[in-house]
Amino acid sequence: MRVWDTSHLLDDIPANKRAAVEHVYDPADSQANLNRIRLHFNQLQTRLILGLVLGFLLPNALLSAYFHFQFTHTLKESAKLNLAAVAESQKNTIDLYLQERVVNLYNLFHSKEFSLTPTQEQMENSLGSLKHFNDGFVDVGFFDTKGIQIGYAGPFPSLLGRDYSKEAWYQTLLKENKSYLISDIYMGFRNIPHFTIATKQVFDGRTYVMRATLDPDKLYIFLRAISQGKEVESTLVNHQGQYQVVDPGRSQLPGSSDYVPPGTVASGVEEISRDDQAMLIAYSWLKETPWALLAMQPVAVAQAGMIKARLVLTISLIVISLLISAMIFFTIKKLVRRARRMAEKGQQLQEMLAHASKLASIGELAAGVAHEINNPLAIIMATSGVIRDMLNPEFELDHSPEAICKELSLIDTAATRAKGITRKLQDMGKSRIPCAVECDVNSLIEEVVGRLKKVEFKPKHLEVISNLGSELPHILAEPEPLRQVFANILINAGDAITDKGTITITTESKEGMIWVTIADTGKGIPPENLQRIFNPFFTTKGGGKGTGLGLSIAASIVKYLGGTIKVNSIPGTGSSFTVLLPISEQAKQTIKQHDN
Amino acid sequence: MDKKQREFKVLLVDDEDVFREATARQLTVRGFIVLTAASGEEAVAQVQNDPPEVVVLDQQMPGMHGSETFIEIKKIDPLIEVIMLTGNTSVDNAIELMQMGTFDYLMKPINIDELLYKIEDAYTRKKLNEKQQREAGL
Repeated sequence: MRVWDTSHLLDDIPANKRAAVEHVYDPADSQANLNRIRLHFNQLQTRLILGLVLGFLLPNALLSAYFHFQFTHTLKESAKLNLAAVAESQKNTIDLYLQERVVNLYNLFHSKEFSLTPTQEQMENSLGSLKHFNDGFVDVGFFDTKGIQIGYAGPFPSLLGRDYSKEAWYQTLLKENKSYLISDIYMGFRNIPHFTIATKQVFDGRTYVMRATLDPDKLYIFLRAISQGKEVESTLVNHQGQYQVVDPGRSQLPGSSDYVPPGTVASGVEEISRDDQAMLIAYSWLKETPWALLAMQPVAVAQAGMIKARLVLTISLIVISLLISAMIFFTIKKLVRRARRMAEKGQQLQEMLAHASKLASIGELAAGVAHEINNPLAIIMATSGVIRDMLNPEFELDHSPEAICKELSLIDTAATRAKGITRKLQDMGKSRIPCAVECDVNSLIEEVVGRLKKVEFKPKHLEVISNLGSELPHILAEPEPLRQVFANILINAGDAITDKGTITITTESKEGMIWVTIADTGKGIPPENLQRIFNPFFTTKGGGKGTGLGLSIAASIVKYLGGTIKVNSIPGTGSSFTVLLPISEQAKQTIKQHDN
Repeated sequence: MDKKQREFKVLLVDDEDVFREATARQLTVRGFIVLTAASGEEAVAQVQNDPPEVVVLDQQMPGMHGSETFIEIKKIDPLIEVIMLTGNTSVDNAIELMQMGTFDYLMKPINIDELLYKIEDAYTRKKLNEKQQREAGL
């Protein structure tokens, strides 16, 4: 029987063995495979780049945000503390300045020039003494117990003899326990902004007052002189927020500040908005007078260093992140491209290998077919040659119609033989007419083994061990093809054993299939041949012993029956062929009934 | 086509009975003394009993293969020339046959005139070889 079906055969070859013969070279398939590889590597590249960039950028961004917040907070606090320190320092300086002026004035009570009824000369000397210490002093006056200015030296002589008993500063000085007073800025009798430093001294139970006025311009200049830092504007305000310094040359009382520092806290820093500009204001209350020193600085200026540092940091971070991302991107792209090229080359090599292997299989098939067809053709040609000879008068042969017909019938027979081969080739893959019956595999094997022992196995010292399972379920099959399957495998097993050896046949039922294992202790199959043994006309038997059709026919039949053939082989040790055949439905029903 | 009497023995070995007989008849009418054998074993026995001048040997036969038969024939008489018939169309096979020492090979199906010429050539060479051997022996 010469039936082969390469497509079926390939199905029967174990998956791990058939890769090389399973693929048929097709340019369209090849392009599709390359496209699949490209798509796969493009996706891999995108995933890798996204993963690595996100894996780097996300933690980096979170850390940067955290440090940015901490950095901003710390630097803001630092700017506030810096401004508060400026305010505190300036407050201390102003306090000291005022204390010195009070002491300058108070010392007049104890000077050589002092008299309860001072002369103009004494007053002028006193003023000169004060101006010697500080040129901010404008004038000096001495008041008797009734509040009348009985002595005066300065630019407003009309003030001499004036009654100050109703003036606020005079009344406050007399009421309080403190021996001195520094007034807020006011216009007074001279109608010019100024403020007063007044001291009191008791002589013989009577209170006398010494007073000097200070030029607000000088205080302003002093304040400016002690101002520190860029764009730090300092000023003095009282509890109502009224400014206590004026710009030089202005003859009006200064206005009020829109910011009034809290009177209950000695010092502090606040952020306010002025003219749509964020400002930092630090305040510190003076000890000597109820004034607060205000130091003001725009937030933008106070935090300029921080903003610059933050900008440099942010730009650096972005540039570094971009550089690293670009490095990741290009490195991954390069690596993936290299891997993709290798995969494409591998795929192309695999396809070429499969193609070459297929060509080899086709070559074997073609050679086999040619050989099978050539024999009847040789007969036809030889016989037709005989007829020609018969018809050639030179040879004087019997050329009667009967003789010629006899030769022609030989040609017919040879042609029929060739036709049989071609018909079987054409029948390849077509469904067979089912003549299947319930078969007992064990019986078939015993028949085949018995037959082989008489002929094929006879010249060798072969031991055939049969481990046939008891009560094996039947299968639905045509008995003769199935005998051929077992015979072909057993003949191969026998051929594999050179002189002496064992063939073990095992049958069992499991997983809804009959398992027939034929194992030999022969020379085994080399790995390079394992994937070709089911190819038609593939044979390793030298000396014309094998046609190379046995296993391909067996595989075709088993496939037709819905089964498979598995092969295991170790060169030098032996081979094992396992035929799996499905149990018939009837047998399955019987098993079910039996189980129930 | 010629009908001259060659009067030398040709052994035709092939397991295909019809082919063997038809070819033998064609050679016979062309003046050859044709001996036939259906297997390698038969051919070897024939050579031992009645050695031919030329052997036409089928390569693929059951039992003793054509190549094995060739070796056995050459063991008996190295001067016998062998023309191999083959159904295998491969170049590798042709090279293998020539390396073995066959006189020539023909692919089935064969042309009788071609076979005839090759047999005559083989016979001529055999005679030449015999002459050379004789001269060398002298």
